Amino acid sequence: MSKQHWQSFGELNNSDAYKQSVNDEFQEQLPMEAADNGFLQTKTPRRDFLKYLGFSTAAATIAASCEIPVRKAIPFANKPEDIVPGTANYYATTYIQDGDAVSILAKVRDGRPIKIEGNDLSPITKGGTSARVQASVLDLYDTARLRFPTIENKEVTFEEVDKAIAAEITSLGAAPIVILTSTIVSPSTKEVIAQFLAKHPGSKHVEYDAVSYSGILLANQASYGKKAIPSYRFDNAKVIVSLAADFLGTWLSPIEFSKQYATGKKIDEKNPEMSKHIQFESVASLTGSNADERFLHRPSETGAIAVALLAAVNGQSVSGVNEELKKAITKTAKELVENKGKSLVVSGSNDVNVQIVVNAINETLQSGGKTIDWSAIYNTKQGVDAEFATLVDELNAGKVGGLFVFGANPAYNWNQSKKFVEGIKKAKLTVSFNGKADETTQLCKYVVPTHHFLESWGDAEIKTGHYSFQQPTINPLFKTRQWQDSLLKWNGADSDYQKIVKQYWSTKLGGETAYEKALQEGLSTTGTASLVGASFNVSSVAAATSAIGAYPKVTTTELYLYQKVAIGAGEGASNPWLQEMPDPVTKATWDNYLVVSPALAKTLLKIDLTNNGQADAYEVKPPKHVVKITANGITVQLPALIIPGTHPDTVGIALGYGRVKELGKSATADDGNPLGANAFPFASILNGTVSYSINKVDLSDTGDKYPVALTQTHNIYNTAQGNRTEVMKELTLAEYKAKPTEILEEREEEVKPYGGLKNFQAQGTIYPNSMNDRPGIKWGMSIDLNSCTGCGACVVACTAENNVSVVGKPEVLRGHEMHWLRIDRYYSGEDLDNPKVVFQPLMCQHCDNAPCENVCPVAATNHSSEGLNQMTYNRCIGTRYCANNCPYKVRRFNWADYSGADSFPDNQKEVLNDVVLDMNDDLTRMVLNPDVTVRSRGVIEKCSFCVQRLQASKLSAKKESRPLADSDLKVACQQSCPTNAIVFGNANDKHSAITAHRMDNPNRLFLSLEQLHVLPNVTYLAKVRNIEEEKA
Amino acid sequence: MHLKYESQLREPLVKGNKNYHQVTEDIISPIEAKPTTLWYVGFYIAVALLMFGVYSVYREVTYGIGQWNLNKTIGWGWDITNFVWWVGIGHAGTLISAILLLFRQGWRTGVNRAAEAMTIFAVMCAGQFPIFHMGRVWMAFFCLPYANSRGPLWVNFNSPLLWDVFAISTYFTVSLLFWYSGLLPDFATVRDRAKTKLRKNLYGTAAFGWTGSTKHWQRHESLSLVLAGLSTPLVLSVHTIVSFDFATSVIPGWHTTIFPPYFVAGAIFSGFAMVQSLMLIVRKVFALEDYITLGHIEAMNKVIVLTGSIVGIAYLTELFMGWYSQNKFEGYTFWYSRAYLFSPYGWSYWGMMACNVLSPQIFWFRKMRRNVFVTFFMSVIVNIGMWFERFVIIVTSLYRDYLPSSWSVYYSPSKYEIGFYLGTFGLFFTCFFLFAKYFPVIAVAEIKYVLKTTGDNYKEKMGHLEHASAEVFAHSGHGHTTVDNHSSN
Repeated sequence: MSKQHWQSFGELNNSDAYKQSVNDEFQEQLPMEAADNGFLQTKTPRRDFLKYLGFSTAAATIAASCEIPVRKAIPFANKPEDIVPGTANYYATTYIQDGDAVSILAKVRDGRPIKIEGNDLSPITKGGTSARVQASVLDLYDTARLRFPTIENKEVTFEEVDKAIAAEITSLGAAPIVILTSTIVSPSTKEVIAQFLAKHPGSKHVEYDAVSYSGILLANQASYGKKAIPSYRFDNAKVIVSLAADFLGTWLSPIEFSKQYATGKKIDEKNPEMSKHIQFESVASLTGSNADERFLHRPSETGAIAVALLAAVNGQSVSGVNEELKKAITKTAKELVENKGKSLVVSGSNDVNVQIVVNAINETLQSGGKTIDWSAIYNTKQGVDAEFATLVDELNAGKVGGLFVFGANPAYNWNQSKKFVEGIKKAKLTVSFNGKADETTQLCKYVVPTHHFLESWGDAEIKTGHYSFQQPTINPLFKTRQWQDSLLKWNGADSDYQKIVKQYWSTKLGGETAYEKALQEGLSTTGTASLVGASFNVSSVAAATSAIGAYPKVTTTELYLYQKVAIGAGEGASNPWLQEMPDPVTKATWDNYLVVSPALAKTLLKIDLTNNGQADAYEVKPPKHVVKITANGITVQLPALIIPGTHPDTVGIALGYGRVKELGKSATADDGNPLGANAFPFASILNGTVSYSINKVDLSDTGDKYPVALTQTHNIYNTAQGNRTEVMKELTLAEYKAKPTEILEEREEEVKPYGGLKNFQAQGTIYPNSMNDRPGIKWGMSIDLNSCTGCGACVVACTAENNVSVVGKPEVLRGHEMHWLRIDRYYSGEDLDNPKVVFQPLMCQHCDNAPCENVCPVAATNHSSEGLNQMTYNRCIGTRYCANNCPYKVRRFNWADYSGADSFPDNQKEVLNDVVLDMNDDLTRMVLNPDVTVRSRGVIEKCSFCVQRLQASKLSAKKESRPLADSDLKVACQQSCPTNAIVFGNANDKHSAITAHRMDNPNRLFLSLEQLHVLPNVTYLAKVRNIEEEKA
Repeated sequence: MHLKYESQLREPLVKGNKNYHQVTEDIISPIEAKPTTLWYVGFYIAVALLMFGVYSVYREVTYGIGQWNLNKTIGWGWDITNFVWWVGIGHAGTLISAILLLFRQGWRTGVNRAAEAMTIFAVMCAGQFPIFHMGRVWMAFFCLPYANSRGPLWVNFNSPLLWDVFAISTYFTVSLLFWYSGLLPDFATVRDRAKTKLRKNLYGTAAFGWTGSTKHWQRHESLSLVLAGLSTPLVLSVHTIVSFDFATSVIPGWHTTIFPPYFVAGAIFSGFAMVQSLMLIVRKVFALEDYITLGHIEAMNKVIVLTGSIVGIAYLTELFMGWYSQNKFEGYTFWYSRAYLFSPYGWSYWGMMACNVLSPQIFWFRKMRRNVFVTFFMSVIVNIGMWFERFVIIVTSLYRDYLPSSWSVYYSPSKYEIGFYLGTFGLFFTCFFLFAKYFPVIAVAEIKYVLKTTGDNYKEKMGHLEHASAEVFAHSGHGHTTVDNHSSN
């Protein structure tokens, strides 16, 4: 018997009462049960209540935690060798789009390319970029990119598509395959194509450019026996004459030309000389806006002008043009002849005859070997219209078995796109390699999307002997494959494209090490140093001249199709940064429109800009007249913008709009229709090349209105109450030579009531001024308005660097755009139809006596010891007083939750359009710069002088225990500038470039609105125009 | 109590030959009666407006200031226009209760209670705008200088907006105290007449145990004087500081030294107009014509024509300086953006001129001053004009300032901007309807006090006395000449 302990007799005896008590948990009945028998009968008894409580708490917790987005941050288990968190790596690569190739550096932070910078080593672009290059990084994260290969719009794997295409190619038999591409600048790709063609006899490669350069290619073939475009050396030209070539904006190689052009525009104050630029054009262009003299003509007169100019430079009499142009041409010819060997004439015309005559002019001026260099020819434009037209005919005739498309998009941008669309349907095998579902890709059965250029291997021979290399900066985001790899695979090659590139260049450069070095630097140059001319074939000129002489004389209103700096031929249409970048000339965003002259506006729109009331009404109301435009049997309706600098009998429409909605939200208007209208169908083939001017266009005001989002509505700084020269200063070279101190005296006059320039800083205020004795760093910027062409590269660079929000068209319409840096465009001069234009980049002036700082009730904006006007976002309560009190109006307010950084949920959809929502997509947000705070709704933001870059540069100097040098930093706008118009640095450092810039140019230096005594840290150098006659 | 003599020739301030009981009956009995249908209709309209305002503010707080049509150039529009307008309206109440008290203007007693109530409600409405115009209103407390854990971070005492915080909060506090201390004896009267327990308790609590003892009266009088003394500088300072929001800036059209006096005059101008609008309705609805007499109306109309003319001179001075300074930026703002009728906002400037300067001139005519309908119409016109004035100052200065590149597109308010404004009307009238129903709209105690010296009874008796005195005087040997003259006539 085991030992048994018992507590009670009941337990010992195991009595009934004891059993009962053991069964009950409690010794006594709970009083509650006694008190209320109904309690247990309720649906939720006490114990259940606890269960329910527990359950509901848990449920609420789970439900609540579902609401909070889970943001994963996964640390590296093993640190990759090259990646230091928080430190950016720069990889040299090459921007290639539709033949345009630019050497760049991609800034990669934590595995993501986030910013494009120019490659300083490039002898072509010398570190310059354009707005389109700057914005290209956003295309990488475009939500509309094709994410996988498809067969008839069904997702397939690469194995499946490879198998299917192999079968298709076999079944084609002898039917030829055509590889249709945009111009291929890559030598290794050309090799890959050649290999493919070799295996498929009868096949061919057709190059096609969205905007054709056939005219100049064929003219050069006739004149020089070379179907090529030589290098132009604007830096060697004293006199530049452009016949409607927008060489600073969109023509051929604008970054390179801007760089060269600016060297001629930099002025040495002691010996003031500068190049002279004369522009003949029909519709105001960026280049024309920069010209010292601009003459307007009808597009149909282009040929006559070229012929007349040729006659004039040859000393013959000028005929075939009206009196005004005759005078202009005689004058121009005089300038040209006086500068033989130091002058250059270029033409943007796609007419072979015009280009032949231009060649003859250049020959007379002895430009060859001086301003025209035949030793290096461009590989960026190779398309010949006739070849493509033949292809379209072949397609329609059913002669083409397979069509492989890369880069080209003729279904959109061929003038007879309908014919192409018909033709492509007859090809048995259609494959598109394009990265987005553009118009042509949608017609293809197989879509095998290629990488974005930042994911690609590759190379480019931009000009003869100038090689630039591509290396991937990120793993492919989607199931895409480089199109060269696809070709290789279908060709049965066992090598991949990366190996081919490596092999090709290792052989060419003499070893793998040389290739590695070239890859690291991003480029390699073997070009000859000396400039070379070419032998000119005179016989072609007479035929061209007589052909031009037979051109019809046009008296109707003409239409001219042009490209916008940002959108180009439509490449930028799906990029929100480019769509939101104000066009340098029209200051419009998110649309294309009909450009009309003030003179035409009077008759067509009944708006007289010389009438104050009508000008005001036109200016303050965004809805503009919608005009019905009919030409070549095609009708479109577009709003009309009145743009001075346009010929009264010419209207202009920008190409690149009216895209399909599959290209993304940016290409689509909010109502779901395409944004703008496609103007390519207006173009026609004339003498074998595409002509972008139309001799007859019918215009009628529909009476409707359509809002156009302009960022600048008022265009002149002259008012009835006085010319606001405090804002902007400009003068002519003649005036400057006659009296170098003119600007200085003007400034002296402005601040005379406050003690003159010398005492202004101290006497302009009743408060003690402590800004003089600030030791250490004092950041300053100086902008040369003479170099600035207004191209807008800095605007996009700033957007990319500083996470500036895209707000979409409806918000720009309401004056809510967020750009920290804008380029103000002013007209001056007496002639409203052809005024002088000046561009003024304007960002926060970082005033030492800033009016914004003292009015903030919570001290959210204040001054740093280094002269920065700082903005503390998390202190800002959004009274907007600072923005009101800013005389430069550079402060931007977050009117809505543009960035998705707000803590209020669901407050974007209802008030912001799809473009903004798309910019807040997880994919698109990968482009954000982690060094810059994303601003939330309700706070003010503005230019910080790229403070994150300043801090990084200071840190790097400090780590090396040395004083900060100019080479340590470049702010984003300065870095992107293709003309080096922006100088930035420590103004307290006597050896810095900014000090030199200010000291060397005392006579042109000015501060905008100096007399307000806000003491800006941004200085400007006045614009000087090379017009000798005026006031002389 | 001072001795006061008032000539019989002066109009009595209280008409109808009232005795004290009648006065109490006239003013207190509406509080005790059930609200009329008309009251309910008005009240619900006001509440509906208030709800729309609440929704508008909800939209703005949730979706951002982008719900309004302001832009990069015009940072303030209807919001601050309405703020200044409401603050200005409040000024009449303070002027009436404080300055007129100090100047011993007996006529103020008929209108001071309602005018002070108007002040308080107007300031409440005004306060909504600077608060909800903030982009991040939930951080509004950053404006308060309180000990915090953010290191040395402190408010910016240089900012006129911070001065506003102090000015408006002080103004509201002092006005509220002043108003409430005046209400104490009247609440006690309501309490004493109360027939229900609830009423007795509510008004009893509100009356703070007022018994009407001499001690209470003495302290009450002293407190009134002290608060009047405190309020008096506020009449001048509050709108001066509000004007600094503009005057201390660099924007042409704002940067003007004339602003402080010009704003104060404008505030009193609009305030009296608002008092007129309200009192003419109250007077009619509550049948208080005997207490708010044509004499009151005339007196206020005189203030309106005076201050309106001051404001007019200020406008002309600005225009003159726009030319005389030869500053092209000021010249443009004043002569083009404003005074040029066909410029985009020219209509608002000339609307302001017509409402504020030209139309009040009809009050030079006594007949017009004493015409209730003309007065009511004009009071509305003046308030429209004063709203235009603030709109002109804010919007026409901002929309085209220094850099022509940043000149703005045409600004007109969004529905939520208008809704916010209507909402403050809702707030104002909701408060005012409650006040008119549950508070003695006329200061009973004070009216009884003036009844002694200026009421019909008094005048009648004083008439006898004067007559008798004249008799005595005539026969007392001091007045031979008079008597002689008299007899010789």
